[in-house]
Amino acid sequence: MRNGTSLEAAHASVRQLIAEKLKFLVPMTIIFMVGYIGLTVLAGFAKDLMAVKVIGSVNLGFVLIALNYVLSWVLAIVYGRVAGNIFDPLAAKAAAEIKAGH
Amino acid sequence: MSITLGIFVVILLITLGITYWAAKRTATTSDFYAADSQLTASQNGFALAGDWCSAAAFLGFTGLTALYGMDGAFYALGPLVAFCTVLFLIAEPMRNTGKYTLGDIIRSRMQTRTSLLAAIAGTVVVNFAYLMPQMAGAGVLVRLLTGISYDWAVIFVGVSMIVYVAFGGMLATTWVQIVKAVLMLSAGAIILVMILAQVHFNPLTLFADAEQKYTAKYLLPVNYLKNPFDQISLGLGYVLGLAGLPHVMTRFYTVPDARTARRSVVWVMFLAGAFFAGTTLFGLAAANLVGQDVIRAADRGGNLTLPLLAQYLGGGKGTFGGDLMLGFVAAVAVATILAVVSALTLSTSGAIAHDFYANWVKRGQVDGKREVWIARIAAVVIGLLAIALGILAQGVNVAVLVILAICVAASANFPVLILSLFWRRFNTGGVVGGMAVGLISSVVLAMIGPAMRGADALWPLVNPTVVSLPLGFLGAYLGTLLAGRDPENERRFDAFLLQVHTGVVPK
Repeated sequence: MRNGTSLEAAHASVRQLIAEKLKFLVPMTIIFMVGYIGLTVLAGFAKDLMAVKVIGSVNLGFVLIALNYVLSWVLAIVYGRVAGNIFDPLAAKAAAEIKAGH
Repeated sequence: MSITLGIFVVILLITLGITYWAAKRTATTSDFYAADSQLTASQNGFALAGDWCSAAAFLGFTGLTALYGMDGAFYALGPLVAFCTVLFLIAEPMRNTGKYTLGDIIRSRMQTRTSLLAAIAGTVVVNFAYLMPQMAGAGVLVRLLTGISYDWAVIFVGVSMIVYVAFGGMLATTWVQIVKAVLMLSAGAIILVMILAQVHFNPLTLFADAEQKYTAKYLLPVNYLKNPFDQISLGLGYVLGLAGLPHVMTRFYTVPDARTARRSVVWVMFLAGAFFAGTTLFGLAAANLVGQDVIRAADRGGNLTLPLLAQYLGGGKGTFGGDLMLGFVAAVAVATILAVVSALTLSTSGAIAHDFYANWVKRGQVDGKREVWIARIAAVVIGLLAIALGILAQGVNVAVLVILAICVAASANFPVLILSLFWRRFNTGGVVGGMAVGLISSVVLAMIGPAMRGADALWPLVNPTVVSLPLGFLGAYLGTLLAGRDPENERRFDAFLLQVHTGVVPK
């Protein structure tokens, strides 16, 4: 009986983990997809906008490309932090519950 | 030439030494396919950088930027952003669910033989589509850089990769990739500093000089990819295709847990990302310093831009410094190809020996020693086949295959992988439907497009991902519906989720 209860607890913990993951990963995925695919759409369809000079000869297109690099790196660090602080403890809890349920 | 050969012989000896060392440590299936899952995050991060940066990245991005301006910078950005998808959605579930191959994940989710066959098909098609242009590119490149003939260059590359993989398995492949990544990043750092010294450490000067020399049009998009939808296809292919490339994704099996897998992605994003960003500056500098005419004269596609730039920065043609820099970059380019083709051979041998032989033919009832044997033989056969295909491909336009590899990865492997991990109702019918529709639509659309048929193209896009990817998902969805509900599979999904998110298999 006890074993079944522990496995049920594991399922509950994983559901909680998935809910936490969705809370962060859905907006983060939307941000980088919109940022990057949006840039390719602009490159294809809004050449004039991309040509606007921002600093010296550097146009908006190159600035947006540079921002995409920075965005990817920032998201990677943020994800690493969030996963370490929030996802890992929940995953460890669920893992312990699964093992107890064996 | 002699300096190039000299540096290259040194690199070759190092990689053979690594292989000898690795061979003594490779006995079990876990050793052979996954380096016993003992790598650290930084080791795997460097290896991922070595794995993911093909010659197309090392030489191609710089050349594209030099000749076409901003479009080259787009090419370089995509492969970094692609790792966001991998980091958020794929790397950790993959480490938690699979053992050695992409097929492992599909098999542990579906537990059907048909779905395993579909996964094998996806792996083998993508790997060969990727491998063949690498071999052909190696032939051209090694001939240009060292003077040996195309056929011998292909044979040399093929035999080297067979030796690395058949003897040293994943451990040798990994360290060849790490050595290559270190060399590539060092070359990049040296070139970057030399360029910046030329412009008094103000990178804006590179843009101003380029504008002055080639007009503002050069710094605009759509110089290379004329069709806007090709731009979008390129972007989609990258951000979703990387996750479907078996030879890169199997790298996540070489680390002990999900946390290390995650940290290795962060490593590669900084290592490879910095290099990709660098190629944009290298390209602009090459256009300014070497000049587009000289670049085109050396190779119409611009693939020799980086070696030429290195030669210029070293002091120019005929000087010792120039020859040394050229030799170094040329040798790194060859090492780059070796690292990538080895990973492709290893991953294909996993699909044959682990997925097909051990799990499909023998239904998992096979001795580990025997499986490693089969995997080694498979590596030799795959390598010989790659050599033959590489030689046959001489003079044939293989560019379409590069597009095809990433397109099939994004349109067939990615939908099947992501739905297996996250959709309860997804079933074997969906695996087959997604794989078949994604694969067939990619191949057909690439074949009737301008990359294959030039002016006679039946439809306008070089890269069909923007259409084939939604079709792949549609195939997976319809296949799932047509196969009907599978209550046993849906019930098992809860247990599968435990494994996906914790790495522990519930009994």
